[in-house]
This record gives sequence, structure tokens and C-alpha cells, in this order.
Amino acid sequence: MYLLEHDAKSLLAAHHITIPPGCLVSQADQPLPPLPAGPWMVKGQISAGGRGKAGIIKKANTVEEIKSHCEHIIGRTVKGHRVQSVRIEQQISGGAEAYCSLLLDAAAGGIRVIMATQGGMEIETLPPEAIQTAVAAPTLEALTQCIAELTAHLPAPYGQALSEVGLHLAKRFLDSEALLIEINPLFVRSDSSWVVGDAKYVTDDSALERQAEILHLLKTRSSAYPEAALKFEHGCDYVVVDPDGEIGLLTTGAGLSMMLVDELRAVGLKPYNFLDVRTGGLRGETQRLVKVLQWIHQGRHIKVLLINIFAGITELGEFSKLLVSALAEVPELNVPVVARLVGNGLPAAREVLSAAGIALYPDLDEALVEVKKHLAAAGEKK
Amino acid sequence: MINPRLNRNTRVLVQGISGRAGRLHSRLMQEYGTQIVAGISSRKELSHINGVPLFSDCSQAVKATQATASVALVGPFDLLAAIEEALAAGIRYIVTPTEGMPVHDALKAKQAVDRAGAIWVGASTPGMAIAGEVKLGFLPNDALIPGPIGIMSKSGTLSYESGYRLAQQKMGSSVWIGVGGDAVKGIRYADLVPFYAQDEQTQALLVIGEIGGHEEEDLARALIDHQFKKPVFALIAGRSAPEGVTMGHAGALVHGSHGTWQAKREALEAAGAIVFGSLNDMVHGVVQKIARS
Repeated sequence: MYLLEHDAKSLLAAHHITIPPGCLVSQADQPLPPLPAGPWMVKGQISAGGRGKAGIIKKANTVEEIKSHCEHIIGRTVKGHRVQSVRIEQQISGGAEAYCSLLLDAAAGGIRVIMATQGGMEIETLPPEAIQTAVAAPTLEALTQCIAELTAHLPAPYGQALSEVGLHLAKRFLDSEALLIEINPLFVRSDSSWVVGDAKYVTDDSALERQAEILHLLKTRSSAYPEAALKFEHGCDYVVVDPDGEIGLLTTGAGLSMMLVDELRAVGLKPYNFLDVRTGGLRGETQRLVKVLQWIHQGRHIKVLLINIFAGITELGEFSKLLVSALAEVPELNVPVVARLVGNGLPAAREVLSAAGIALYPDLDEALVEVKKHLAAAGEKK
Repeated sequence: MINPRLNRNTRVLVQGISGRAGRLHSRLMQEYGTQIVAGISSRKELSHINGVPLFSDCSQAVKATQATASVALVGPFDLLAAIEEALAAGIRYIVTPTEGMPVHDALKAKQAVDRAGAIWVGASTPGMAIAGEVKLGFLPNDALIPGPIGIMSKSGTLSYESGYRLAQQKMGSSVWIGVGGDAVKGIRYADLVPFYAQDEQTQALLVIGEIGGHEEEDLARALIDHQFKKPVFALIAGRSAPEGVTMGHAGALVHGSHGTWQAKREALEAAGAIVFGSLNDMVHGVVQKIARS
């Protein structure tokens, strides 16, 4: 889960890491909550970087300016994400910008610690001599040692500040089973005191069940993390990739589903969603398929439903029965269905689907020709 | 050098054999020709499953059957303990198909595997196979015919589809390793480059990658470092994925310029690989190039 800055900072603050005072606002037309003393930053909340360049981080000197920024920022779409809220926080005065992060180093099988006495821009753009970095084993002892070595020769006031922040983050990284925590910039004052400017915090969806604090965040703020909430509740991955998409996808397997979205886009078609339904986890119940069909129905421009299943193990006859029942339970999704199935039990699947009036194509290219026909027909009806 | 080759005589045990997946896949692996010699289960009332004798832990099973490899079909929160148990019993080849292993558990498992000098394939993988010989995991038979292509894949389904379409064109595989879709894992693409370079059955390499992490970039560097001479083909999924959202696989997350499709394509092309934009192009490209040589 890529946490929004507001949530990342709140989690850090709950563990004694200093952040600027601030609050979250999600409706521009409502009265503002109590604000910290100004002047302020108004920061659009999305799970992606480059927010300043995209124009969703603004300075404000008056409450009127805050309101005007809120109106302009909330509701915009940046990098495919709708900005649902802004964090309004006190501007940080004084202090030099530094950088501190911990992240998984998958190749080394450890945790990489990166520190720099410059900050505010992407770490990749800093000169290599400004960066201190090393990989440690995933234990507090190893990380403590690593941070001590990295900060030992840093000039004042950076050495002490980065050492303190590093140790705080190391504890957070291990305790919350994080994949990445990055503080950039970290504001460091001449007396070595410091405050977090911006925070990027990515947690492990697979560990959610045993991470009470993150699970609580997901449950109380599920609308901010719809994909992670769906996955946790329903056991499948679903992402709307284009709110104006015309093709609803009922697919299984992360890689194959991603590839299908890519290929449809490459030929100018408009897929609505990515889905890894995990046919292996259906266990004879229609529930998950029904949910998925209801989600797809929320797409306002859906014109056709494409089913693409490569069944290594799944019995396609069984799957087809579930599919037909699920479609009957969601009659509001009244669009043509094109099914492309390959694998175990294809003859049984063909029988079940043809009885329900659904044509089956073992070849994906043929299925796509059919999808295009339906799109053209839907276009003519208009 | 890591050598992932196994054969019909490799003695394999299955951890978690009495579960739903354990029962099904141990039978399917047996039918393919894999020698399953032992199963691990805590269910004391059972003595055999699919004709395989059961043991309560790996160390007893290894003593009784001389198993050297394991397929662990246990839940994600039990996987770290299963790997540690197998290593302690002397197993040095472990395949873990389980999806959803917590990443910090995977970090610990990787350290234990490296200390023991073992091979770990997974997690979140359909496993490995040598077509016509042996499979550990559940790569579908329709996609498995013997041939000259070494396959390394993150995604199960995309590799099934690729292998299946290649098999339809009578193009088969040599050694197929599903490295899996997790961020932290056992064997990674780059680890296998020295093996594929010297493996006589492998004439070309097919890499089935996806966005997130930098495994494809690391592979590109390894290809250059080893002066890898065989043709390398690649298919990378996730070109149109939005930033900051996990696309099904725990490892498939783009943030900033990190893990993007573009970066992977550029790195692989700089290492001499041919990166295809679609399944069809990949199949045609591979068939043409390999038929010609």
C-alpha cells in the first residue's frame, strides 16, 4: 500500500517522529477544520510523486488562498489518480534540506539505507558524492550499526539529525513491515533539530493481517485505498485503469491481465479495469464473481465484457457454470459477453456457455475481433 | 554457479501434502513423472496420500527417503517456517508456489537460504519444469514440450499463455524457471544467466517480466557482464499501469521513475535483447529467429 502523505505522516507522528502540524480536507465547499498557525502549504494527496510539478502543491498566506487552492486541487486527476483530499499544513521555516530513506534491496536480500545532506529533489538526481548508502540485514542491530557508520563522518548539524531520524525509521520499517520509507526533504536546523517535510511510505499488503495499525488505517480510510481494501476483503486484485473505459475485463493472473490491458490500449481500445480474479480461490461460490461484475457495472461507458481465462489447473466447465450464475445475478450489467477460455475442461465449458448464449473463442485474436464488432455496434446505436 | 536442473530421479518431498493444494498438485506432479517420495503433514491419522508415505517433519522424511528437493504448499504465514525446516533437514532445492508471503519473511528466508547455499524458487511462482522430464509446481502440461528455449518468468499466467502459444508453433522449452511475482524472492533472473549461458539444450532465452522492482535491469547488466551470446527475447507486462498501485503481484508497483516499463525495455535492449510489445509479436519473433538459426 502506497500511503498518502497525510497517512504516512500521521503514522510517523504516532511514533514520536516530528512532522509539521496539519489536517486533511476532502470537500472544498465545507467549512475548514481548525488550522495550525500560518502560513500554510496546501498539498493534494495522491499515491504518486511529482505532485509539485503537477501543480497540486501550493503555498497559502491567507485562509482565502487556502480555500481557492482546495477548490482547484480537489477533484483533479493527476497521473491517473483522482485527488480526493488535500493536507493543509504549516509551512516549515528555516532549516536546510536533507534526505533519509530505508527501502528493500531485493537483490541483496537486505534493507538499503540512503542518506544525503541535500534533499528536496529526486534522489536519483543528486550527485553521487552527496549520497551515503549501505545495505543491512533486516534486524535492528544491523540497521543501528549501519546508520552509525553512515552518519559518523557527516558534518554538523546533519550527522546527529540523520542519525536520530535513521534510527526512528529503522524501528518503524521493521515493526510495520514496510517496503519503503523515504523522508524527502528532511528539514534540519542549525541546532540539529529536525522536522519531516514530505514522507513516502509503502507497506506490505501481504502482511496486513498481522499489522494492526495499518489494517486499522485501511479500514477507517478504505475510500482512499480502494484497491488494497478490495484485495483484503475479497481476495482478488482489481484496479480501474481508465474511468472512461469501454471494455470490462474478467481475467485471471496478474501478468496475463496486465498484458491484455497493455495490448488493448496499444491497438486503440479502451479497457476499463485490471483484474486478477484468482479462479483457484473461487471454491465453487459465485460471490466473488458477482462482486466483480457489480464493480465493472460502475463503469459508465462499459460496452462489452471480455472474459479471458487461461486455466492451468482450474476446471473450465465448473468455472463456466459459476460465471453463468454470476451473470444472472447481475442483470444490470446488460452488455454483450465475449469469452476466451483455454485449458482444462474446454468442451464442458463450451456446452455450458453456449446454453447461456455466450460464444466461446479459444483464440484471443478472434475474441478481440468480436469485441471490436460489439464496440462498433454500440457506437452505431448512439 | 546456480544449476537449477533436476531430473526424473530427483527425490522430492511435499510440505503441506494433506491440504487441498497439496493433494491435488502432488498427484499432478506424480502423473508428470516427478518422483514424490514423501509428504509432510501434521495429520497423524493419515499414513499415505496418493501412495506417498507421510512424515511429521522434514528431517524424518529426509532420513527415511533421502529426499533432496521440496515443494512447499503451505499458507503464506507458514512459509518461512517451512523453508527453515526444509533447510535444517538438509534439503537444498525448495520450490514455494504460495502467493502472499510477507516481504519481511521473504527477507529472512532469503538470508537462511543463502547461508545454506540452497536454491529457492519462489515465492508466488508456478514453479519450475524441465519439459518431458520433471516438474516441481504446476506449470500446465499444454505449455510444456521439450525444445530449445530457456524460459524465466515472473507471472504464471502470462508464461502459461506464452509457453502454450509457442508449443502450438512446435517451439518448446529447455529449463523453465518461474522466479515468481514477489519483490523479494529466491532465484532471480540474473542468478540464472551463467547457467543458461553454458546449458547445451538452451539455444535462446525468453524473459517474461513485468513492471516494478529492477530485476529486469539487473538481468540486463548480468547479460552484458557475462557476454551472453544466445538470443534473448523479452515480454514485459504493465506498460499501462498507473503509478502507485500494486498490479496483482506484490512486486508490480511503480513509484516515480522506479520500476517503469520504459526503464526495463531500455535496459534490456541495451543488453542486446529483443523486447516485444505483444504476445503475438513475441511468438512470431521467437519462431522466426530460432527457426532461421
